[in-house]
Formats: sequence, structure tokens, C-alpha cells
Amino acid sequence: MKVVVFGMNHRTAPVEIRERFAVPDAGSVLRKLSDRPEIGEAVLISTCNRVELVVTTANPDAVQHVLLEFFARELASETLPARASLREMTYLHHGREAVEHVFRVASAVDSMVVGEPQILGQVKDAYRAAVEAASCGAVLSRLFQRAFATAKRVKSETGIAERPVSVARVAVQLAKQIFETLESKSALLVGAGDMIEAALVALDDHGLGSRRVVNRTPAHAEALARRFGGTAHGLDELDLLLPETDVVLACVGGSGPILTRERVEASLRRRQGRPLFLIDIGVPRNIDPGVHEIDSAYLYDLDDLQEVADSNEEERRREVRRAEQIIVEEREHFEGWLVALQAVPTIRDLTQRAETIRRGEVDRFAGRLGLDDPRRELLEQMTRSIVNKLLHAPISRLRDETDREVGLIRLEEARVLFGLDALPAGRDESAVPQALGDDDEPETVD
Amino acid sequence: MYEFQQIAAALYLAAGVGALLGLVLPAPRMLFGARLGLALGAVFQAAAFATLHRLDPAPALTDLAQALSIATWLGILFGLALLTRIRLPGFMPVLGLVAFLGAFGATLSSPVSAGEAGVGSGSIPHAHVLLSSAGLAALGLAGLAGLFFLLEHRSLKRRHKLARRFPLPSLEGLDRVNRVALALGFALLTFGVATGVLWNEARSGQALAGGLHETWTVAAWMIYLGLFALRFLGRQGARQAAASALAGFAFLVFAVVGIGIVS
Repeated sequence: MKVVVFGMNHRTAPVEIRERFAVPDAGSVLRKLSDRPEIGEAVLISTCNRVELVVTTANPDAVQHVLLEFFARELASETLPARASLREMTYLHHGREAVEHVFRVASAVDSMVVGEPQILGQVKDAYRAAVEAASCGAVLSRLFQRAFATAKRVKSETGIAERPVSVARVAVQLAKQIFETLESKSALLVGAGDMIEAALVALDDHGLGSRRVVNRTPAHAEALARRFGGTAHGLDELDLLLPETDVVLACVGGSGPILTRERVEASLRRRQGRPLFLIDIGVPRNIDPGVHEIDSAYLYDLDDLQEVADSNEEERRREVRRAEQIIVEEREHFEGWLVALQAVPTIRDLTQRAETIRRGEVDRFAGRLGLDDPRRELLEQMTRSIVNKLLHAPISRLRDETDREVGLIRLEEARVLFGLDALPAGRDESAVPQALGDDDEPETVD
Repeated sequence: MYEFQQIAAALYLAAGVGALLGLVLPAPRMLFGARLGLALGAVFQAAAFATLHRLDPAPALTDLAQALSIATWLGILFGLALLTRIRLPGFMPVLGLVAFLGAFGATLSSPVSAGEAGVGSGSIPHAHVLLSSAGLAALGLAGLAGLFFLLEHRSLKRRHKLARRFPLPSLEGLDRVNRVALALGFALLTFGVATGVLWNEARSGQALAGGLHETWTVAAWMIYLGLFALRFLGRQGARQAAASALAGFAFLVFAVVGIGIVS
């Protein structure tokens, strides 16, 4: 059984195509997909940046056509481009590539914004939906559990999610480098536009104390103040408000700076050295750049914030290399488990074959020698012991080597050497836990 | 007693290295473990001081290595108290490594006994050493907070050089540590100098005998008096306060330790 990933993402398809594949009800789609004879298990990951089907199949080469058709017929909400273009916009990974891809997606290494925190929750939701739709079995359950563990490792062992990469989050990061907490801090918002609101939302998430809005148009100031529980003031009150302010957010129209160096210096004298954090997101700038030269004033304009965000993003990308190493390690663990799973039928066939031979020979000799029940029981015990001892070494070897590349070769060799493919291949799932057990006792054959 | 100091030194070293790894990896559990290591080290060091009198001959507290060991122990206690109130993970590796040096130095020295050192009787000499050591520890903490403040300030002023593996505490937090440690340290140093004067008077009949240690320590105290006045009575900015705490501590260390080595 191989793992296959088929889908499209922000790199292969534009948003106007991806949005046609948004799936509101993953359950019904998954039930339809897992009814197909070519498909074993299935999970559907659908976010704004990707639509992916993760499936298990015995024939990965033949499944591409099936998945492409399913994608076009069952997932698309509107008329689609020709199949040929759809094929170009999609990708298919199987085997180790597919496993690594799922781990990369869950760890946000494959995301548009590397390290973004939302994707893990979305992948967990996708897995939950598949479990509810009963389309997720042993293999994909294990795959997704490993994916969550990989994401956790990547997050804790690399700096991939450490540094903020949006301008608003960078502003919050800077505020936290200046102030111990934002809870007791007062913000002064100069302007009442969308940019101010976005920055205010980010600061508010970290429990900003109080906020006051000053604007040329009092009605706009009042509207924003009402929404965020602050007070509204006119621009003429700026000098009165500034000494009591810890964070200034400025984005207001005008030809020159509203906050000059002299104005800020005068207010800082009344602040007894307490730091003042100023964010100027206005174009043209609302705060004199010379303010940054004052000891207790820390001024950042839009370009500065963007530069920090870019530098953080670059740092995150550097961390991707470390994340990839973790992903490869985790993929190897998963592959080991998968091969171990594939060893189960061979071990079972081998023990069944040995038992059939043993029983046949016991019957034959017991009849020929005319053995009574106690003697027959002794013969049973002796032959069972011989078989167990003979099989112990090959079965242990098959189990031990399942986590290595050579494991699959050993399985094939065992089937040929013991003539197991002549047997009807039973695929009883209930045999899995016992056959994967860690005990070193010889395999019992009765 | 030396066994306790050795265990304490080992715990401090492990805590310092653990905290450093905790910051680099980053691994919050290692940081928590490092904090426990510091606390456990402080317990062993306290046990070492408590059993000091059992040594034969009992070392004088005025022995420099012992005094510095006491100062680092008090520094750890101050540091641990601050860690419960303020987010200061960047402090821990430095605290651990400085404490290791203090505790380890005491195990290497071969202190002279109280009798040989001419310490004299009574509690004044011990009070002098304990108070001065505590003052040194608190002012050391103020200097360390000042150093971190200057690093953080520089990083914020340079704007684009903000990406760092070692998260330092906020400027506000560092300034508060500086302020509290300076107030406490100056008070302790003042009592330390006063008891030193009383001890001198009891020994030689003179308040100030004009020795190098006394002269330089009094000079250091006067410098701190100026810094204290600037900080709490004047309008000194946070950056100037940080720089002066660092410079003041450097002078104090020279006055207490360096002058003995130079002369």
C-alpha cells in the first residue's frame, strides 16, 4: 500500500482556479472517494492555499487519472479549464515524496508564509473530518499522527515560527522589546484609517491598556474610539496627550510631519525617562525621523517595519533547512513502520505454511505408527517445538529489518524461498498488532 | 564545607550551560531546569556558609574568595527573586556562570584563619563582610541589567538588526531591575562601609587608616552616592542610568578586588 498525494496549491494554480475547488463538506467527498476500488484510505486538505487529496492505493501509477477525474467532477464548483491545463496545475507525489510532502504541509514549510501557525490546525481539521467520514484507516492515521509530531518538533527545534513576518506583528514584537507588558500602556492613535485599525487590532490582541484617538475629522475619531473602547480627541490636544502616552500609532494625511522632534522632546521631559514607542505608517511620514535620535524614543516607519519583517522571513527560510532534516528523519521512521506493516502478511503466511506441513506430517506418522492420544500429544509438542525454533530466526530477521531499506528485499526473498506466493494470500487486519509485537518469543503456529 | 561549595559550583555551571542551551535551541524545559539548578546550587552554597565555622582553622569571612562567594550567592538569590517577577531568560546563563566562578573560586582558595588574618573579635567584621558582599552582589546585578539594557537599546536603535537567538528582557524590565538593585545595593554598601569604619576604629582607633582598600572603597561609595542622587533625585534617562550602573560596578570591582591585585 502506497501513500499518494494529489492536488494543487498556491505555487501551481492561481487563486481564481483554487477557489473553484473550495470544499464545504469534506465528509461526503471523502465517502465518495473511498468507495472507489482503487482507493484505500483518503484525507482531504482544503485551505485557501491548497486543495490536496492524500490517499493510499496499491497502484500509484494508475491512480493519477482517477484522482484527476475525481478532482474535476466531484470537487470543482464551476466550469473548469480543459483537463490538460488542469493536469498542469496539479501535482502527484507518491511514496517517500508524498510522506515528506504531508509532513512539510503540517509543519508550515510548504506554506506561502513559511512557519505560519494556522496550517497545523487546518490539517488537524482535515484529519478529524476523515476520521468522522470513516475514510481514514491505519496507514493515514499513523501518517497524520506523525505529521503532527513532526510539526511539533519543527516548531520547537527550529526558529521557523519564532519571528513575526507581518508588519503589524513586527510592531507588537518591538513593543514587547520595549515594554514588559502592554496591559498598563496607553496608545495614542493619530488618524483613524484602516492601517491604524489593523495595527491597533494586533496590539489589542496583546492586551493594550487604554487607547485615545486624535483625528482631523472628529467623527472618524469617535467611530474608531467607540469600536475599540477608547476616547476621541481633536488634533489640537496632541501636546496634552503625548506625555501620558506609551505607544504612538500615526497614519494621517498631510504634507509634513505632525510630530516634530521638538514636540516629542518636550513631552519626553515630562515622562521622566520612560520610553516612548512610535510607529509611523503614514505616507508621507507623520513623524519627524529625527525623533529616533532621542534616547528614550524608538521610532519605526513602514519601511523599517517591512525591513524587519523581510529579515525575519529570511531567517525563517534559513530555518527551513533544519526543518527538512527533521522531516527526513520522521519520514524514515514512518517508512519503517509502513514496511513493518507489509511484513505482517509474509510472517503470517510463513507460519501458516509451516503449521500445515507440521500437522500433515503428524497425522501421517501418527496413523502409520498407531499412536494413542498421550503419545500423539507428545509428538505434537515435539514437532511444534521444532517448527518454532526453526522459524524463530527468519521471523526475527524479517521484523528487525523492516525499518531498513533492505526490509522489502528480505520480504520478497522469504516469499520466494518458502514458496509463499503459492498460498492463497489472506489479508486479515486483525493479525497486525500481534505480528508487529516486540516480544522475542518464537512464533506460535497453533 | 568545600564539598558543598563544589556541589554548588557544579550545579551553577550546569544551570548556566543548560540556560544557554535552553535559549539557543530554544527549549523552555531546559530553562526551567536551569532555574531549578540555580536554586539548588544556592541551597548547597548556603549549607557551605552554615558549616564554615566547623573548619579547622575556621576561615575569616574577610577572606576575599569567601567574600566573593557570598556576593555571588546573594546575587543568585536576588536574581532568582527577580526571575519570579520579570521575564528575564537572557539573565540566566550569565547568572549561572558568574555564580559558578564565585563558588568555584572559594573552593580553590586556601583561606587564612580568622586569628591569622587579625580579624579581631565581635560581630562587626562579619557584618562588614556580609553587608559589603550583599551590596556588591546587588550592584553587580544593577550593572548586568545596565549592560543588557545597552545591548537591547542598541539593537532597537539599529532597527534592522533585530533578529536574535537570545531574547533579552524588555527595556522597561531591565530599567526596573537596575533601579531596584541600585537602591538596595547602595543601601547595603553604605552599611558595609559604615561597619568597616567601626571595625577600623575598634582595631586601630582611627575611622580611616588611609589604606588602599579603604580609600578606593570610600571613593566607590561616593561615586554611587552621585549615581543614586542622579537616578532618584535628578532626571537621568534610562540609558544614562544603565551606562552609569555598568561603569559604577566596574569601578567598585576594581576598588574591592582589583586594587589588591594591582598593589
